[in-house]
Amino acid sequence: MNKKDKKTFHPILVLNRRTFHKNRGRNLVAALAVSMTTILFTTLFTLAQSMSENLVEMTFRQTGYDAQVSFKSIDPEAVKKLAAHPDVKEVGTSIVLGLAENKELAGRQVEIRWGSDAYARHSFAAPTTGRMPEASNEVALDRITLKRLGIPAELGESVTLEWRKDLTDSEADCIRSDFVLCGIFEGNESSYASMSWVARTYAEEMTGGYYNQEGIILGQYMAQVSLYSDRNIESMMGQILADTGLSDLKYGINLAYSPEMGATALQQTLPMYLGMILVFIAGYLIIYNVFQISVTTDVQFYGKLKTLGMTERQIKKLIYGQSGRLCAIGIPAGLILGWLLGVVLVPAFTGILGGNNKVSLNPVIFIGSAAFATLTVLISCMRPARLAGKVSPVEALRMNDADSRSRKTKKRKNSASLGGMAWANLWRNKKRTVIVICSLTLSLVLLCGFYAKNAAFDMEKYLSYLMIADFELADVTSDDYIGGYNPLGSTLGSSLTEHLESFEGLEAAGHLYTHQFLWQMDEQTTENLRSYYTPEVLSDWGSYDPDGPKELQKAVDSRTVSAVVYGLDGIPLEAATQPQYLLDGSFDKEAFAKGGYVLAVGPAIEAGESYPVLPAPSTGSRIELEGRNYTVMAVVCPLSPVDDGASEKGAPDSMEMHFILPSDTFRTLWPENTLRKLFVDVDDEHLDEMQGWLDNYTKDVDSSLPVESRKTKAEQYETEVRSSAVMGNAVSVIIAMVGVLNFINSMVTAIVSRKREFAMIQSVGMTKRQLCSLLIYEGLYYAAITLAVSFLVSSFLVGIVIRAMTAGGFTTFRFTLLPLAVCTPVLFIFAALIPFLCFKNLERQSIVERLRME
Amino acid sequence: MEAILKVKGLKKYYGKGEALVKALDGIDLEIERGRFTAVIGTSGSGKSTLLNMIGGLDIPSEGSVRIGSTELSKLNSEQSAVFRRKQIGFIFQNYNLVPVLSVWENIIFPISLDGRRPDMDFVMQVVNMLGLSQKLDSLPNHLSGGQQQRVAIARALAGKPSIILADEPTGNLDSKTSDDVIHLLKMTGKEFNQTIVMITHNPEIAQMADRIIRIEDGRIVTEQGRQLA
Ligand SMILES: Nc1ncnc2c1ncn2[C@@H]1O[C@H](COP(=O)(O)OP(=O)(O)OP(=O)(O)O)[C@@H](O)[C@H]1O
Ligand SMILES: [Mg+2]
Repeated sequence: MNKKDKKTFHPILVLNRRTFHKNRGRNLVAALAVSMTTILFTTLFTLAQSMSENLVEMTFRQTGYDAQVSFKSIDPEAVKKLAAHPDVKEVGTSIVLGLAENKELAGRQVEIRWGSDAYARHSFAAPTTGRMPEASNEVALDRITLKRLGIPAELGESVTLEWRKDLTDSEADCIRSDFVLCGIFEGNESSYASMSWVARTYAEEMTGGYYNQEGIILGQYMAQVSLYSDRNIESMMGQILADTGLSDLKYGINLAYSPEMGATALQQTLPMYLGMILVFIAGYLIIYNVFQISVTTDVQFYGKLKTLGMTERQIKKLIYGQSGRLCAIGIPAGLILGWLLGVVLVPAFTGILGGNNKVSLNPVIFIGSAAFATLTVLISCMRPARLAGKVSPVEALRMNDADSRSRKTKKRKNSASLGGMAWANLWRNKKRTVIVICSLTLSLVLLCGFYAKNAAFDMEKYLSYLMIADFELADVTSDDYIGGYNPLGSTLGSSLTEHLESFEGLEAAGHLYTHQFLWQMDEQTTENLRSYYTPEVLSDWGSYDPDGPKELQKAVDSRTVSAVVYGLDGIPLEAATQPQYLLDGSFDKEAFAKGGYVLAVGPAIEAGESYPVLPAPSTGSRIELEGRNYTVMAVVCPLSPVDDGASEKGAPDSMEMHFILPSDTFRTLWPENTLRKLFVDVDDEHLDEMQGWLDNYTKDVDSSLPVESRKTKAEQYETEVRSSAVMGNAVSVIIAMVGVLNFINSMVTAIVSRKREFAMIQSVGMTKRQLCSLLIYEGLYYAAITLAVSFLVSSFLVGIVIRAMTAGGFTTFRFTLLPLAVCTPVLFIFAALIPFLCFKNLERQSIVERLRME
Repeated sequence: MEAILKVKGLKKYYGKGEALVKALDGIDLEIERGRFTAVIGTSGSGKSTLLNMIGGLDIPSEGSVRIGSTELSKLNSEQSAVFRRKQIGFIFQNYNLVPVLSVWENIIFPISLDGRRPDMDFVMQVVNMLGLSQKLDSLPNHLSGGQQQRVAIARALAGKPSIILADEPTGNLDSKTSDDVIHLLKMTGKEFNQTIVMITHNPEIAQMADRIIRIEDGRIVTEQGRQLA
């Protein structure tokens, strides 16, 4: 006998393998559930990881470098000592010469420097084409600067940079140096400054070898230190400086490494982690259900194994073995698909953050998702495994009889109507029924919630806040937060404005002028400020802008603020005085136009909420602005297209208060101030024409003209909004699929596990048709209960939670249960179809075959 | 001869109050090693319950069961499973074969659960004796009832248990096959010096035992012994 010579027989392994193959259908459902759970985990992990990586990257870009520590001025000898320290990974150095002041570069800081390769690399400014300059006449620039200069991004182009050795002295000689472009890099859009690398020889020539002279930028010797570890930077730096005997050097730690950054990243990714909990619940519900059902249907099998001497532990091992196989199939597939889904979704999310969208390939994602998915599976089968282990062998042996006995009594109680029988059958396994209904309901309710939340986003509202005209043009220095706004700028010259305002199809236009000066506050306004800024408001303010409360204190103490007077007409005036933006008082257009009235701009709070005081002059009071008296007509919200912009050049560093006057009044008072912003609306037929004209203008005449158009903005935001809605819907669709899968699984197993019972009922005279309708009744009951519960819970969720969540912001709440309405027929069809299909499958076996089955 | 199985004051009650069923109501019994005992009685008299108690499958309400030197009530479920697969061979009316395992795998299943290697010569001897050597690779549901019962017997014998408990092993078989099976049981029992306790409804089969115990309403009513031939 060859058999007996066979290798050792591992009963549990063999049983595990064979039972797994035997229950292929059931396992398919379970494996699908496992991989779906994994997909969701991986996707969310990928999103969370990519988002926080992008956030860190973005902060790096904003701070301008990614090394841990920077020295604003340091002795070259000290750098050598630092670089030699074992804890220091790399030191990059740079010598600052000055700022490029070419006319085309207005509004962007272009720093002329020499930098070591490491410094360039850590400052996002290493040439991607070409190399760093070596000869005195070479320069490396980024594409942003090149574009502004109007120089093609090709090596060998000649570049002229204008700069001054002494920035504080506006009369200082302007140096014009001609360079050859030897290196090009992308440029850091998130930073206000661009690097313009020159050769060391050029730098030495300009500085004359004098570094770090008090109060002079020229010759500032800077260093960036990269450490091996990101943790405890401060104490490590302290140690390094102590070791090198440089303890009194001042250094700065990169903001991106601060603990607050971690907190921000966590906050950004919090929804993902909440989503994971949801996924865990959904995954648990279905996997648990699959195992629970299979254990209850196989109770006899486990009882039999127990009578043969299988211990509780061995039975548990068998069940965990099954789940292990499911993981081995479901998880790898889920990891791959989940990551791919992440790749699709990451742009949508990081797009909102405004960063670049790199998809993280961090192994943590895969290890973490696999671990979470495995954990979900393990936890899901813990109870079923315990149940199977606890099966009493005798009970299992008797199971058949006991089952049929209790069933008979039930049948009698509920008369013989099919509906009644189906209803009774539904509650024979209460727990299973409840779980299936819960998991289906959860998905439907989530779907409804997501949908209602997305549907509440109001694009119109959003845009009307962001853009108030079809086209908005501004002076080139309007957003120059470094140099400040130049009120005498000439970007919006009369030829340009006249052409636009006489454009065919023009519907409306509007102008904005500003003037800034120091204003002595009156008693009432000071009092208003004092009572509006309660300690809570102040600490809230201070949490994101630490200088704010200090400036306020200074303003209140000295009773002086920096006043910005806006001269408005047309579109911006109408937009800013819309009823929903009036915080206090009312707006009378005619009276305002006469010039005796002023509008005060209040804080950015929701209109409609009432505050006892506003931090602005009181409505109706009379205030004096540069020698003329006005009555405050109303307090309005700051509207970003009107209110945003840099302070005037040379304005003091103090708190600002904004006022609005009619532009006619403004121009008689401050006639030399030029136009700051121009707003134009054209009819739809001429939109493209004007866009084309402006495109040509920025290409041929003035490349620095800032233009924004409603259409491009709308498109840009629409894609963003759409993709985030897609995400929400994708998540709920997957959860819905989990629910439906759960539903299918429990229907199928409920039917398959009752094969014998059905054969028996049929053998005593129930017709096929009756049996089939019995099953369909059961399915329909399931669907009906689920829908009833879902409608109830969703109404609550949408009506109360979502309504509260979408209050305010750019949303208009609409009560909608559309997804449920769509799902209702789908669910009913499934509920009727599954029993029907299962029954068709059952029918293939004869009654005798089914009766004989174990 | 020394008694391998000692049952004292064994009671098993099901349900409560009105619905109280006294399945076993005070059983005292001693069975000696190597004896073949038949248990008879009307349906519902408590035979299966008694057998399950002896096999440690169920927990008595009262009383004790001692096999060799082991008191069954002292074992937890884990220990009793291990004890069962080492010491007791079960033969059930409905065979209780594992459908996904082949005949051979079924036979050595309890041994392998115990982590032991089967005694090949012995197991093959049993297999040959039961005429199963041609069927070792088959799956149980491809066998006839009699063949399946023989697999169950082979499985019960394979681990060389000291006691074999059989609950109506011939209930599903015709009289010819029944006779064969009983003869086999007797023969192997003798051959390997095993103690056999068998439930049956068939008086003729009962007559083949060394000793017959009759149970009514959970009590032993009569006993007739027969001297070993
Ligand atoms: N789990 C249980 N719950 C309630 N009553 C039970 C249970 N198990 C057995 N009984 C009752 O105990 C009594 C004895 O049952 P048992 O199965 O031992 O009878 P039996 O002698 O083996 O009958 P048969 O010859 O029909 O197999 C019966 O009245 C039965 O209804
Ligand atoms: Mg019985």
